Amino acid sequence: MLFFSFFKTLTNQTVTIELKNDIRIRGILKSVDQYLNIKLDDVEVLELDKYPHLSSVKNMFIRGSVVRYVMLPRSEVDVGLLEDATRREAANQAGKAR
Amino acid sequence: MERLSLNDNPGNAQQQRNPQQQQQFQQQNALGPGGPQPTPGPPQLPPQMFTTAAQLLDLTDKKLVLVLRDGRKLIGVLRSWDQFANLVLQDTIERIYAGKLYADVPRGIFIVRGENVLLLGEVDLDREDDIPSTVTKASFEEVYELKKKEDDQRKSSDKKRNTELQALGFEPEHSGEILF
Amino acid sequence: MSFFGFDTNLPRDRDRGPAASRGFFENPDPFADIARATAVEDDGIDFEDTYDGLGDQLDDDQDAFNDDTFGGGGNAGAGAGAGTSVGRDFDFFGRTAEVSNAIDEEQMRYALQNPQAARAPPAAPQETYVPAQHAAEPTIKRTGYEKYSDPGYIPDLQAKSSVWGIAQEKREPSPAMIPTMPAASRKMMSLEEVEAQMRNRGQAFGPETTQSIPQTMPDMSFPRHPQGLPMLPDGFPANIPPEILRAHLEKGGLPPHLAHMADPRAMYGSPGPMMPGQPLQQFDQNNRPPRDLPSQDPRHAGPPPVQRQHVPPPPSRGPNGGLPVITNTEQLIHLTEEQRNAYLMEDAKRAKRNHKIFLLSRGNGLMTPQDKNFITRIQLQQLVAAAGNVVDADPEAVLAEDFYYQVYSQIRGAPRQHPHQPLGHFAQTYLLQTGNRISGHGNRRAFHSADNHMQRMQQQVQRAVEAAKAKPKNKQLIIEGSLGKISFSNAKAPKHMLNIKRPDSSEGIRPKKVQSNLSIGDRKSLLGNIEAVYNALMSMEDMERTMPPPPEEGDTEAIQEHLEWRQKVQSLNQKLWQALKVMEPIVPNSTTPHPFIAFLSYPKGKKAIPRIFRHIDQEQRVTILTMIVVHLDTLDVVHLAQASGPNDSQLPVAVREAIDLFSLAVMPSLLGYVNEAAFNIIIGLLGLVIAQTQVLAVARTKIGLGILTMLLSRAEIIKEAGQASERDWQQWVEKFNVLFDMLEPSLVHIFPGSINSGDDMYVWQFLAAVGIGASPEQQQRLVIAVKDRVMETVSYSKSLPADMSSQRLGNVNLFMRAIGLDVDLLG
Repeated sequence: MLFFSFFKTLTNQTVTIELKNDIRIRGILKSVDQYLNIKLDDVEVLELDKYPHLSSVKNMFIRGSVVRYVMLPRSEVDVGLLEDATRREAANQAGKAR
Repeated sequence: MERLSLNDNPGNAQQQRNPQQQQQFQQQNALGPGGPQPTPGPPQLPPQMFTTAAQLLDLTDKKLVLVLRDGRKLIGVLRSWDQFANLVLQDTIERIYAGKLYADVPRGIFIVRGENVLLLGEVDLDREDDIPSTVTKASFEEVYELKKKEDDQRKSSDKKRNTELQALGFEPEHSGEILF
Repeated sequence: MSFFGFDTNLPRDRDRGPAASRGFFENPDPFADIARATAVEDDGIDFEDTYDGLGDQLDDDQDAFNDDTFGGGGNAGAGAGAGTSVGRDFDFFGRTAEVSNAIDEEQMRYALQNPQAARAPPAAPQETYVPAQHAAEPTIKRTGYEKYSDPGYIPDLQAKSSVWGIAQEKREPSPAMIPTMPAASRKMMSLEEVEAQMRNRGQAFGPETTQSIPQTMPDMSFPRHPQGLPMLPDGFPANIPPEILRAHLEKGGLPPHLAHMADPRAMYGSPGPMMPGQPLQQFDQNNRPPRDLPSQDPRHAGPPPVQRQHVPPPPSRGPNGGLPVITNTEQLIHLTEEQRNAYLMEDAKRAKRNHKIFLLSRGNGLMTPQDKNFITRIQLQQLVAAAGNVVDADPEAVLAEDFYYQVYSQIRGAPRQHPHQPLGHFAQTYLLQTGNRISGHGNRRAFHSADNHMQRMQQQVQRAVEAAKAKPKNKQLIIEGSLGKISFSNAKAPKHMLNIKRPDSSEGIRPKKVQSNLSIGDRKSLLGNIEAVYNALMSMEDMERTMPPPPEEGDTEAIQEHLEWRQKVQSLNQKLWQALKVMEPIVPNSTTPHPFIAFLSYPKGKKAIPRIFRHIDQEQRVTILTMIVVHLDTLDVVHLAQASGPNDSQLPVAVREAIDLFSLAVMPSLLGYVNEAAFNIIIGLLGLVIAQTQVLAVARTKIGLGILTMLLSRAEIIKEAGQASERDWQQWVEKFNVLFDMLEPSLVHIFPGSINSGDDMYVWQFLAAVGIGASPEQQQRLVIAVKDRVMETVSYSKSLPADMSSQRLGNVNLFMRAIGLDVDLLG
């Protein structure tokens, strides 16, 4: 649940998402769910010329499994906290595996 | 967003039937429990905001473009969905793109298994008729032929690429399917 | 009439009426508002005027009218009064769907009444060229999209408890069905009675004006439009002569359906495919099971008394809805060509959009709020189940699974959702690290209700979670006859995308060494050490939160508990201490740095120091400080920070970042200790610097000078406070003199680069610290040594803007005043 927990803190931030088919979409992250599906508002598709089917789209639901990257604002990430959250997650996993 | 609890509220039936009560109820919901919170900063959001349901909620009964993992583009009205993002689309047309051409094929009702969804975009009704100048409408037959050619080409190049990647230890990102 | 409730009217008959009638179930008492409706003239009907508060009168405790509702009594639908017996086990779905419509209505009504909750409906662009009048237009347009403009909108979500497997003692009528039951206070009238009533009331009115306006659909006032135009889309310029519009539309090349709309005859006059009322009806018929519709026979009902309702409503409004300004052709003619075109284009665009929305809205509400609610609940339950142990409402579990979000939202000043979680502690830990400040803590009330909400939720999901836990956790399952493998990979156990098999022969491509002369193995073990430190730290931080309350006297159990806790803390402390490897023996002339110094060379290691210092005792602190002082010249921030020449002041970015981090993370902790340290410790440390390190190298770095400044100033404070014994002081002076003599020849070189390179404040601080402790003779030597730099800085600062100038001079003056001088004396 680390990524879920992490992305929750990015709601209402502008992020750029690159999908596994290379489409890049910038928009305001409105919500994320446990599958890391992402809801973007006010989307802007980069290189829109290549993807005419997205020309009139204003907001988007993106299936988590097709996301390759999420580019996010550095200032909104607490790295130290994230490191610890990662350690905790690892410890949890180890604890559960035992 | 309403603070939703998992238990049934026995008083709810009455609230539904009593507009005044319901109004109060909703007003409370609008403000969140405990009224407005003076603290600045990002409020901790209610858990139900982070559900697939919340994401699909305001796409319901909207005209959407649905891109499937196999590259199909469907345009239709989202009527129903579930927690897996399985979808029901009504009055669907499939729009096929190839080269600089596209064609529409009326399809009707679609039930889409969630795993095949790539993305789901709400169509801006004001802009939907502004087809980008880069594409022009053509007959289905013409576009279909062209598309078939393109797909074959991509399949073979993808296959080659994936073989090379696999040799280096990378699993193909999408199990060899065309993802478009 | 139709027994099954199908609309048996032929389309040609149907289009005469205001759309078509939908049936009694539209409304518990469809006739109740006739009198009111007749009283209202052509003005747009205000929702508030027509809403009769039927909802208030509904009462599900009384099922006396079930027969009426469900057809058992036979008087609801049968105009002829025949007591047709109809089974009761029909059409539950239809009713449920209808109730959801009613609920939708309520929600929209609420949204309309609360402008904050519902911002301007997206379908009401209000782009007109006479804004003032338009703004005064009172009619609220509704499109069915309004509620979505409220970001916080969730429809009234309540699912039936049976869904959750909670035993129900008896089947009660679903709450969702109840609202369709007739109000107890209103008696169902037979059609004959109704007819009689209408005759009495409506003598003065023609057939058109006696048409009832359904209470729940006040916006649909178009039936009373003089021309009886039904389903006028929002904003459609009804009064513009069709010729003008058509000409315009043809010019503009609008899609056929809009052009179609331009012709009122085509739109309303004949039952063409685009006639809005008709497809709507068909659609609804398709989606709802047949029901006991009342007769639509005009002979009985006169003008169909019940307005067909579909929810959310079509984007329609009163006859004047979109046209507050242009009421006739003449006005349009008086406009300039441009304005007219703009107006028409705008209107056409709006009409087009509204028509689209209208077409889309025909199937609205297929998914009821209950459905959405149900799915939301399923997901919430999954979430809580995934969070692990919720049986005992354990906030620790939530914390474990949602640590980042929980702590982050507190650090960034948000009110917490789980007030009893001991999070403040965490927030503090990370606030120290990030330098953020705690803002307000929210109000208690909010905390409590949110907490109750959590508790309730947890109780309810307990059962579900236990069930979920009992399920086997296979990784993959192939069910015979299924279309494929069912994968159990999830967010917690994702599918592996990298599957690298390193070939045995070649070692593969190794990552480039990163600014260190360590082997990969060393580096890896060092990083492992750091992680061990953090793990110990986090356990300690967790322990701190579980500290039992101080035991009362005689409460042996509590005392025991407390002792056990202390023991645990102690063992964790030892674990941490071991992991830090401070006590590893120092190997002289070793090529590899001491493990603790290596630990400090990583940003993660530097960042850990403040947290470590909070969990160790004074003795351990002094050990760490000693370790750092002894290795001062091998610290990365010292040995990498040697400027190679006086003009080569620009250090690599990575080194500068390391120095900044060290100053921010490590120095305050050290300073905190030094400021309380005893004199003999300070003397000892200074002795170590002189004896163990290359003082000149140390003095040429920011961190090195910083530590020296720390020691010198502390000694001075102790002396000023009169806490230094004569013997100690003598010892100190000895050491100080050694240091002074060592540094004196190279005092010029301790400045970073040339005069204009900026940050030399720490040097002046150091010089000031030296100056205070120096003898008068030493002070003079000091002045001679740095005189040039002082003069340079003073003259240079004259060329700087005022604020920068005063800052530079201030730095110099720090030193000058320490030796009893002032830059002002230099002119």
